[in-house]
Amino acid sequence: MPLTIIRTLGNQIILQLKEFLLTMQEFFIFSLRAFTTMPKLKKYWRDFLDQATICGADSIPIVLVSSISIGSLLAIEVGNLLEEFGAKTMLGRSTALSVIRELGPLLMGLMLSARYGSRNGAELGAMKISEQIDALRAFGTDPVAKLVMPRLAAALVMFIPLTALADFSGLQAAALLAQHYHKIDPGIFWNAVYPRLVAKDFVVGFLKAPVFAIIITLVSSFNGFSARGGTAGVGISTIKGIVVSSGLVLIANFYVSKIVLENM
Amino acid sequence: MIELRNVTLKYGERTILDKVSIEVKDNTIKAILGPSGVGKSTILKLMLGLIKPNSGHVFVDGVDITHLKEVDLYPIRRKMGIVFQGNALFDSLTIAQNLSFFLRENLHLPQDEIEKRVREQIRFAGLEGYEDQLPESLSGGMRKRVAIGRALIFNPKMILFDEPTAGLDPVSSRKILNLITDLRNHSGLGAVFVTHIIDDVFAIADRVAVLYQGKFIFDDVTEKLHESDHSFIRSILSDKILEL
Repeated sequence: MPLTIIRTLGNQIILQLKEFLLTMQEFFIFSLRAFTTMPKLKKYWRDFLDQATICGADSIPIVLVSSISIGSLLAIEVGNLLEEFGAKTMLGRSTALSVIRELGPLLMGLMLSARYGSRNGAELGAMKISEQIDALRAFGTDPVAKLVMPRLAAALVMFIPLTALADFSGLQAAALLAQHYHKIDPGIFWNAVYPRLVAKDFVVGFLKAPVFAIIITLVSSFNGFSARGGTAGVGISTIKGIVVSSGLVLIANFYVSKIVLENM
Repeated sequence: MIELRNVTLKYGERTILDKVSIEVKDNTIKAILGPSGVGKSTILKLMLGLIKPNSGHVFVDGVDITHLKEVDLYPIRRKMGIVFQGNALFDSLTIAQNLSFFLRENLHLPQDEIEKRVREQIRFAGLEGYEDQLPESLSGGMRKRVAIGRALIFNPKMILFDEPTAGLDPVSSRKILNLITDLRNHSGLGAVFVTHIIDDVFAIADRVAVLYQGKFIFDDVTEKLHESDHSFIRSILSDKILEL
């Protein structure tokens, strides 16, 4: 009896592993296709502009809200901590490092994973179950070139200015809170920011933008393309896309920081 | 001509099609009859090369398309049009945009030629005045006619219909069936349609193949269906609609 249970369990694990490896293979081919169709960007420039508006301009409010709130909170909490050590003048430096290297790009990535990733997953998933993606293929249009590549290109282009916006607004909010909450002169705050920032700090932060763009777009689009089983299937694939891409954004955030900080 | 030769298709451990062979000649209307979920729509996707069989071959006009790359399949697919069960119209595009979409995508035609072809299909579908409407604002029958118009946009030799009358009222169903017959009679266009409604088969099909448990149990001229003594065919002849 226990042998049968172990064998069944073993078979299940092998089956799951096989399925996982097959999905990984499909994802790899899908991703490769999205990159190799980049030369068709000229043909799909309208789609690119649409997607650039969706993931760029339309995402500004959510990026502003999240970066301002985290910048403000950081100023209050870190300021309180530094006050205990009599080092309140270091608030600008510590806030700038946290926002530019980590929190600005990370929050932007998580917000866009939720906003842009969910839109991609739901839209492409709905197109999949209503056979619109099959229709594209049946009438001779490459659905990856038409639907995924412009999304990827738009995200690659737009995530960088969005990161800059998140950094800028987060730091402005922190400076404002430093002035009004901790009574730190803006000159002292910014003097601890600008002269001490080095290229490495910006490389860490801004390298994350294209990495997150690739993760979010490809994972959410792949899950949309894999949707099956009616409207419930669209929901499942969308959730899966957001969860996986958010998780990967967090992991990538750690490794990009680690690799750049150790090698620059 | 389209041919499936000894095609087997599996989804995981489940065998959907088990060494099936079928031939569809030009200028004929062939029905594929079977209960829901038996793999009828899968056959249409195999014919277009949208999915690959586990074994066996698919031929279109004598060309083995089984292992062709996606880009090499595009010119083959233009020989066939397809009307999906849910029509698969692009819901964010107007009727005229839906009809012109693939012309703009795949053929480098001048603007006036595109407009001319779209006007022809609008007239054919009887949808004058609806050009700028979105698909959601049309009735089921009208949407089906737009989907047929789109399937004709590349002047194919054959149209594949996935459950062409499913979900339509009797009058709209009749119109769609007449349209399929007219296309064959006046334009020499062949058709393959999958259905679970036996009355549709007797109304328009020259030949019928019955799919049951992954195999074709009948493939002949429609009239001979009555002569079959297969228990499943006897039961569907008495029930008329397959709800299995």
